[in-house]
Amino acid sequence: MIEVNERIEVASTPQAVWAILSDPSAVVDCVEGAVLGDKQEDGSFNAKMTVKFGPAKVSFAANVLVAYDEPNKSGSVTARGKDGISGTKFTTAMQFKVEGQDAPPQSAIPIKAECEISGRLAHLIESGANMVIKRMTVGFAERLAEKCGGTKSA
Amino acid sequence: MKVYERLSQAFKAEGTTNVFGMMGDGNMYWQYANNKNGIIMHEVRHEGVGMGMADGWARATRNPGVCTATCGPGTTQLATAFVTAARASSPLVAFCGEYPVSDDEYTQALDQSAFAHGCEAAFVRMGTAEDADEAVRKAFYIARTQSRPVLLSVPMDLQQKEWDDDEPYKPSTSIIPKRVVTPNASAIEQAADMLSKAKRPVIVVGRGAMWSGAGDEVRALAARTGALIATTLQAKNWLVDDEYHIGISGTYATKTAIGLLSDSDVVVAVGASLNRYTTHEGLLYPEAQFIHIDPKAHVMLSRGKGADHYVQSDGKAGVAALNAELTKRNFKQMGRRTGEVKEKLANAWEDRADYKIEEGTLDPRPLCLALDDLVPTDINLFVGSGHTAGFTNILFRKSRPIVMPGHFFGCIGQMMPAAVGAVIGSGMKPAILMDGDASTMMHIGDFDTMVRYNVPLLIYCMNNQCLGAEYYKLEAHNMKVDTSCIPTADLGAVARAFGGRGALCRTVDEVKKATAEWLAKPGPMIIDVRVSRSVVTLPYRRVHYGEDV
Repeated sequence: MIEVNERIEVASTPQAVWAILSDPSAVVDCVEGAVLGDKQEDGSFNAKMTVKFGPAKVSFAANVLVAYDEPNKSGSVTARGKDGISGTKFTTAMQFKVEGQDAPPQSAIPIKAECEISGRLAHLIESGANMVIKRMTVGFAERLAEKCGGTKSA
Repeated sequence: MKVYERLSQAFKAEGTTNVFGMMGDGNMYWQYANNKNGIIMHEVRHEGVGMGMADGWARATRNPGVCTATCGPGTTQLATAFVTAARASSPLVAFCGEYPVSDDEYTQALDQSAFAHGCEAAFVRMGTAEDADEAVRKAFYIARTQSRPVLLSVPMDLQQKEWDDDEPYKPSTSIIPKRVVTPNASAIEQAADMLSKAKRPVIVVGRGAMWSGAGDEVRALAARTGALIATTLQAKNWLVDDEYHIGISGTYATKTAIGLLSDSDVVVAVGASLNRYTTHEGLLYPEAQFIHIDPKAHVMLSRGKGADHYVQSDGKAGVAALNAELTKRNFKQMGRRTGEVKEKLANAWEDRADYKIEEGTLDPRPLCLALDDLVPTDINLFVGSGHTAGFTNILFRKSRPIVMPGHFFGCIGQMMPAAVGAVIGSGMKPAILMDGDASTMMHIGDFDTMVRYNVPLLIYCMNNQCLGAEYYKLEAHNMKVDTSCIPTADLGAVARAFGGRGALCRTVDEVKKATAEWLAKPGPMIIDVRVSRSVVTLPYRRVHYGEDV
């Protein structure tokens, strides 16, 4: 299990940040290599995600469910996917929340994520996958911060 | 005549000229008879090393290697070497003594059938003295036709029985038909249809292509179809003189090669199993269609898949037929054999990542490049497994009569025995072995064997004083690496103590000097090269650190 804890601070109001995060396509757009597909009856989305493990690319066909808690300005993203070539599977669960801050920057977004990769490739790529996922999460935070018109705090 | 004498005659008739192993009371009379029959015995210090040597002999000569061990504890020493030989598809016969049939409670009693099964080897037992001929013939028949190791188990007491049959021994070769598997015409037409539509083809050649002598046909097919040429690890450096040769397909591919392979639309695999490592679980060829040429009835690819088009054929015959069909169609294209690709390949081998090198050690990358350049191309190359293989399998690029990487069964320490066997099998042609310190130490007792038989093998021990694979895995997990660090003595001095030659080197210039001395008079030698732990191989940087390199 790969665990990620990130906190992004952006110089936009919580309302402005929430406006972006409450759009699933905007959230998925922040994940490098991910493309949102059709909405399903259960409210989930099909998606495609290409991840580079070293110089090799793994293309996952995924299902993504984004759930929102409007009053608390929080949400969760659960996704699972499979790569048709290598048979690699992943499941991930991410929680995020938009918090207002008195001092600038105006908003903070704590993100917690857990990701599990299974299949033969998982053993082959070993700790490299860990680093790739963590780098992707940092990338997600940076893109989100950029979308919100701010910058990710260190 | 005793049965053990008949058994020796049978081995000789099967073409056995050299046996590797260790004497015990379960095989000593057979060895005695072998000696009288002119079969050369290479007495080793560990039975597993003997089997490793027979494995190397088999890989180099493509004839069954023969090793021997006594019953029970002698036989169990063969375990790792047996599995390694099985994974290498090496034809081998291991003559193993077995406890007397009349004594179930014999101290060295062992269920050798179960042992062979666990070691992925075939098992043949001489059940009665009268079955001596049949047992030997069957063992060699399996080794030759299935290309795998066979444990021939011969009870000690049965070896002492009288043999009174004067019928000449019929070797297994007398019942194995010699024919080349030729391709079906319509299968070739379909392959030509696919290949003539390809825009970005690549030909991946393996040991099967090499052994079938398909080199010229593969070159011609690549030139006609505009294909790049890549090899499996086991066919490393074969056809490397082709200017569009991109090296190994798989774990030891360069980043440039991975980019080109990933962009391929048709893969022609010749005598290559296309296993998970060659295809990187299939990810190296996400869009490609596969044409697979192999003499077996069928070969399952990585991930339990089959090729889009399978042509059952000997490699050379299959590629020749494909060339003929494409010639008939007047098909020829430039494909990927362009100046742009050539330019990409020109710098594909450079790894310029900067590392701080610890004092008293050297960067293994320039070491490999220097040795590939310095050691003449008529000197054979053997490559061990483990961390160091990530340097050597990529950076040694010259064509040599024998280039033999290891990696079967993922074990360390097995390449020194294989190299010795292959050197003996090749008529004592000088060779070098690139290996790590843990591998070298594992069977260093048999450097004594190298000295006794004056084997012209130079072992470069790339000594970083640790278990390389584990060191980098621990480091990537932010764990203390100390438990993987094991210092060694000066292995050059150890080699000298055994009666061979040796040197301890900490600079490339020192290595060059020691190499020049060996080249002037090849013999058994170890050069203990102290290499940096800071430098991480490309494959490890990918798998352990997730780097796009």
